[in-house]
Amino acid sequence: MEAILGIIIAAILSQNFILVKFYGICPFMGVSKKIDTALGMGMAVTFVMALASAACWLVYEFLLIPLDMVYMQTVAFILVIASIVQVVEMFLKKMVPALYKALGVFLPLITTNCAVLGVVLVNVQEGYNFLLSVLNGAAGGLGFTVAIVLFASVRERVNKAECPESFQGYPLALIAAGLLALAFMGFSGLSIT
Amino acid sequence: MNFKKQFKEGLLTKNPVTVQLLGMCSTLAITTSLFNGIGMGLAVTIITICSNVLISALRKVIPNQIRIAAYITIIAGFVTVVDLFLQAYIPALAESLGVFIPLIVVNCMVLGRAEAFASKNGVLASAVDGLCQGIGYTVALVIVCVIRELLGSGTFGGGLLGPGGAGIQIIPQPFPAMQIVMPVGGFLVLGFVLAGSQWLMKHLEMKSKKKEAAK
Amino acid sequence: MKTENNVMYVLRLALTLLAITAVVAAALAGVNSITKPVIDQLTAEKTQQAIQAVLPGGGEEVDFAASSAIVSKVYKGESGYAVEVTPGGFDNTITMMVGVDYDGKVLGISIISHTETAGLGAVAAAATPAGEAFRGQFVGQSGSVSVTKDGGAMDAITGATITSRAICDGVNAALACAATLG
Repeated sequence: MEAILGIIIAAILSQNFILVKFYGICPFMGVSKKIDTALGMGMAVTFVMALASAACWLVYEFLLIPLDMVYMQTVAFILVIASIVQVVEMFLKKMVPALYKALGVFLPLITTNCAVLGVVLVNVQEGYNFLLSVLNGAAGGLGFTVAIVLFASVRERVNKAECPESFQGYPLALIAAGLLALAFMGFSGLSIT
Repeated sequence: MNFKKQFKEGLLTKNPVTVQLLGMCSTLAITTSLFNGIGMGLAVTIITICSNVLISALRKVIPNQIRIAAYITIIAGFVTVVDLFLQAYIPALAESLGVFIPLIVVNCMVLGRAEAFASKNGVLASAVDGLCQGIGYTVALVIVCVIRELLGSGTFGGGLLGPGGAGIQIIPQPFPAMQIVMPVGGFLVLGFVLAGSQWLMKHLEMKSKKKEAAK
Repeated sequence: MKTENNVMYVLRLALTLLAITAVVAAALAGVNSITKPVIDQLTAEKTQQAIQAVLPGGGEEVDFAASSAIVSKVYKGESGYAVEVTPGGFDNTITMMVGVDYDGKVLGISIISHTETAGLGAVAAAATPAGEAFRGQFVGQSGSVSVTKDGGAMDAITGATITSRAICDGVNAALACAATLG
């Protein structure tokens, strides 16, 4: 129980995937101009991260280890992630068109989101079991969502601010993200042991 | 083929980090010492060149629908090769870059070059493109590294120079702001570097316009 | 997609992808066969060096009853035990060797691998005066250790309390484990 709570708190706050660990910066900068799109991206990523954690754990445990091909893990994991994203996309398109409309444009971007591959690699490195892997994936995704939604709300305002010409756009966004990261440093002592 | 133009694009006007904002994860995460920056830059450069060459050579064989999957498999292959070689021959670098070496697979710069350049151009041009973009990436990384290391730890050349590879102390101990080597500093320093490059480009543009006007 | 029902076309896609994956797998198997012995040897050497550093004369691996999940290996030597522990640091797991003599005192600690932040947590493993000083203060300690912030006697590394705590956790687990071995 402690381990479970510890992982959740770490993944969302003290070890936030974006603001502390620097996974998934590309979508963080790219899809954070509006709060609702940021929320959509966050949800899509959370879903894929949990699913990918489960699938990759199975592949690692029952395919790569028995075959003694652990060195193939990066290739195997990225293929699994790409296929999951593809399947999720097709499934949503057929079954839940409303959700597909909301998330559709973000789905292909998720394959190259390092948060997804990152969480899978960390799961393996830390030797988490199946349940903890899935949990870490889902909690990491929630951490991603929290960070990207917070950042989008900051950015909506920052974009209207006056600033020196050279700082317009991404430089100012990065500095705003830096201040957000500073705030998240406050969580760094938080741990359950 | 225009080597000079490609070089200028990679280094400045289409720099993967400062203009295209690609491969940001590693740019922010590992830029805490010069050693990391150079190591990561070189690894990404080599992988981009190799994947560009192979993808360009295979561009007529790979069907359009599965091209992204095919590219990513090829890239993952090269990344693993580099990862294994680093672990075997430069273990210090492998250790300090950690999970960010396998994460080069999803460094959008590598896939971006494959999709935007190698899939449409010849082998040689693609190799040059990989080299130029790689150099641009490395230079941006090294600049961020040097600033963060100097302000954050007060040293230069961490991992490479100085006693025990800890770097040469330039700012004496109690003064460096350690927050700069923490995540906060990554965002702040990159923000300022980006602003600097935007200013520089604007400046160069005005200069060339003036030149034209004088003609 | 108008070609969706075209079986031959889909088959061609699948086969191309399969061929690429197979070639990549074969190439990686080749590279792996070259690098694996080198990596294994490096890891073994590093572990041996760490044992030598904390337990003069080295030691042989022995069985142990794990009192804590972070104890991974125990080596028994002339003057005591070298205990390999893997506490969770700021970033990821830290792998370190702790030497403990038969009186339950720390002989020394040596960090085998870590991914802590350069200039902060990484100081704990660095071959610099600051790193030596940090590791040196554990020598001779017994019972349990903690950083000054937690009421203990160990000075934490500036800006890296979490790493310092993790090292204390590792040392405590090693001391506890050595105590059960006598």
